[in-house]
Amino acid sequence: MNDMRLFERAATVDEVKIRAKDVNVHYGIAHALKDVSVDIGDRLVTAFIGPSGCGKSTFLRCLNRMNDTIAAARVTGAIELDGQDIYDRRVDPVQLRAKVGMVFQKPNPFPKSIYENVAYGPRIHGLARTRAELDEIVEKALRRAALWNEAKDRLQSPGTGLSGGQQQRLCIARAIATEPEVLLMDEPASALDPIATAQIEELIDELRQTYSVVIVTHSMQQAARVSQRTAFFHLGHLVEYGETGDIFTNPRDPRTESYISGRIG
Amino acid sequence: MSPGWLFLLVLLIAAAGYVLGRSRALSATGGSLRTMHSLPGAYGWNVAMAVLIPSLLILAVWTLVAPAVLGRLVTPMMAGQEGNLSLLMSDVRRVADGLLLLGEDPASITTEGLRDRLAEAGVALGQDVSNATLAAAARYDVLGAWSHWLLTILVLSVALGAAALAVRRTTPTLRARNEVERGIRGLLIAAALVAIATTVGIVLALIFNTIKFFQIYPASEFFFGTTWTPSFGGGSELGILPLVWGTLYISTIALFVAVPLGLLSAVYLSEYASSRVRAWAKPMLEVLAGIPSIVYGLFALLTVGPALMLVFGDGGLGWMQGGTAVITAGLVMGIMLIPFVSSLSDDIINAVPQAMRDGSLGLGATRSETIRQVVLPAALPGIMGAVLLAASRAIGETMIVVLGAGAAARLSLNPFEAMTTITAKIVSQLTGDQDFSSPEALVAFALAMSLFVVTLCLNIVALWIVRRYREQYE
Ligand SMILES: Nc1ncnc2c1ncn2[C@@H]1O[C@H](COP(=O)(O)OP(=O)(O)OP(=O)(O)O)[C@@H](O)[C@H]1O
Ligand SMILES: [Mg+2]
Repeated sequence: MNDMRLFERAATVDEVKIRAKDVNVHYGIAHALKDVSVDIGDRLVTAFIGPSGCGKSTFLRCLNRMNDTIAAARVTGAIELDGQDIYDRRVDPVQLRAKVGMVFQKPNPFPKSIYENVAYGPRIHGLARTRAELDEIVEKALRRAALWNEAKDRLQSPGTGLSGGQQQRLCIARAIATEPEVLLMDEPASALDPIATAQIEELIDELRQTYSVVIVTHSMQQAARVSQRTAFFHLGHLVEYGETGDIFTNPRDPRTESYISGRIG
Repeated sequence: MSPGWLFLLVLLIAAAGYVLGRSRALSATGGSLRTMHSLPGAYGWNVAMAVLIPSLLILAVWTLVAPAVLGRLVTPMMAGQEGNLSLLMSDVRRVADGLLLLGEDPASITTEGLRDRLAEAGVALGQDVSNATLAAAARYDVLGAWSHWLLTILVLSVALGAAALAVRRTTPTLRARNEVERGIRGLLIAAALVAIATTVGIVLALIFNTIKFFQIYPASEFFFGTTWTPSFGGGSELGILPLVWGTLYISTIALFVAVPLGLLSAVYLSEYASSRVRAWAKPMLEVLAGIPSIVYGLFALLTVGPALMLVFGDGGLGWMQGGTAVITAGLVMGIMLIPFVSSLSDDIINAVPQAMRDGSLGLGATRSETIRQVVLPAALPGIMGAVLLAASRAIGETMIVVLGAGAAARLSLNPFEAMTTITAKIVSQLTGDQDFSSPEALVAFALAMSLFVVTLCLNIVALWIVRRYREQYE
């Protein structure tokens, strides 16, 4: 892994944004997530890695209560955002999701125009007062998601008509247009070419200045390049969590070691 | 031998052919499946098919054509008789059937008292049997017996011959599987052809009768006439406009009731209801959709009409003269269409991928925002299709109109007045004894044709919209 461009590891501000304690998730009788406890830092990029089916997406969905929409899912344990339990009765999941944005594993653009896709969140939350402001928000989001050049001439054509990778970037643009405090990204670069991937990684690093970002990825290099913290999941357990540099150069658990060296997966 | 028995015999020969073909293929290879082109059953089916297709075809064609041919052969015997030839011939046929029922030798029977004896055997005749009729009927029976024998011999020899040929052709290298495949395709095509041919037949019958109507009644008066006063004595005015107006008015009221209620209940069912509620509510709706419209008609006549009279009738606001009115029929028809609209819309809304909702909810949208801004727009073309289908049902509805809207053809804006629709008038023009050459009866075909064209267009548009919608997700 010589090509790793390791960003500065030391966190500028080391505050906890999300604190998860003993989180368990059941889908019916299947136990998908087992006693996961993790502190996600503010203004940091945290990477979730682990073999397919180990529960990365499940845990990510716990963080903005998207598991509420799955009838079979049951979440126990405590998850706090800025010290407030998000599963508390008084917390409105709708407001929570405006603060904790999400880019899904499968691109899911709305059957609307590209413009309307990006403008959707800002419209709902009333972020723009005039059409010009909205135009500006849309353009900025598309630029940051590295889609502007391809989309600027076809803003009114349907978002579903874009290619897979373009749709993925459209969904990223849609998520950042709402200006969330935390951005959860589930394999945001899985369908992207190296150039677009690099642009998205740059975006993630840039977002770190103001937000905290959680990214699920199957690319060890990507985790090493963009994240400061890495969590390794295996069969529903959080096996190891720490500084990205430590995890990759000096893993403590033998399972982590064999995963990052490519022996289990 | 009667065609029924013949049919069973052919099936028997086919079954025997199946067994023979199968065992011949097996024995030729010593039971080793590897060296055979197809599975043993395919060889059996191949023989059975070779038997069934030609013999059943002959059987079917013969049974359909024979009566006409026999009639032709006998007709010259009746040529000298007075009276309508086709009526005479139908008498001949009935007497011929009756003679067979009586089971007497046609050569020795006389016309005396024959009509009463035939009546006892269940064959009612309009007049006494004349000598010529009896002779023709006897001749008809003789020829019929001949025809039966010929048919039996022909079918059996074809079946046996085909079986023998097919069994001889059966060798392990025969591509029996492919031939059976071809046979199955043929069967499916035949089934489709029957369905299409029936439709075409119905449309042709409509068209011919419509043309006949327009030959005796001017088309311009039919399409643009504003009065509908049929009288079988002649001098009737047959303008379709009051009927079109009644149809549109009632259907529009029905859709105004059915579409909002149906759509909202579909949204509730698919987006808000717990799976427990769904589990009983959805089947309930489907049961409602299956209630025959005559039941709704009774409901209109006995419940809704009187209820409306209480409010809008002479005792109340005084707007309504009788329980049967446009508003009564429209409301009840709307109620009938609610489950139809909601069941279709529910399926369409459910077809919107969950990922779409997740995307919206994940951006911090509420449930109703998600439904209004993402789910419904995505489902809109499909819902439009459902509404158009509902509209074409409303236009074609008859019983509710007959019982709920009255029978007066009228051009009026007042929803509390009785009006009627195209379908209801088709019924009233054709009930009772009709002379099918008068414009008053033939107009029913022109009405039916107009209705058919309108609903056809609606259905085509609906299907087109639904299909466009499908393409979006696949
Ligand atoms: N909606 C669901 N219903 C039932 N079981 C589910 C559901 N979603 C996930 N699971 C199960 O939970 C476990 C974890 O799934 P999850 O999607 O979190 O895996 P993942 O780590 O994201 O995998 P991948 O890398 O392949 O995306 C799997 O065993 C999966 O079968
Ligand atoms: Mg996943």
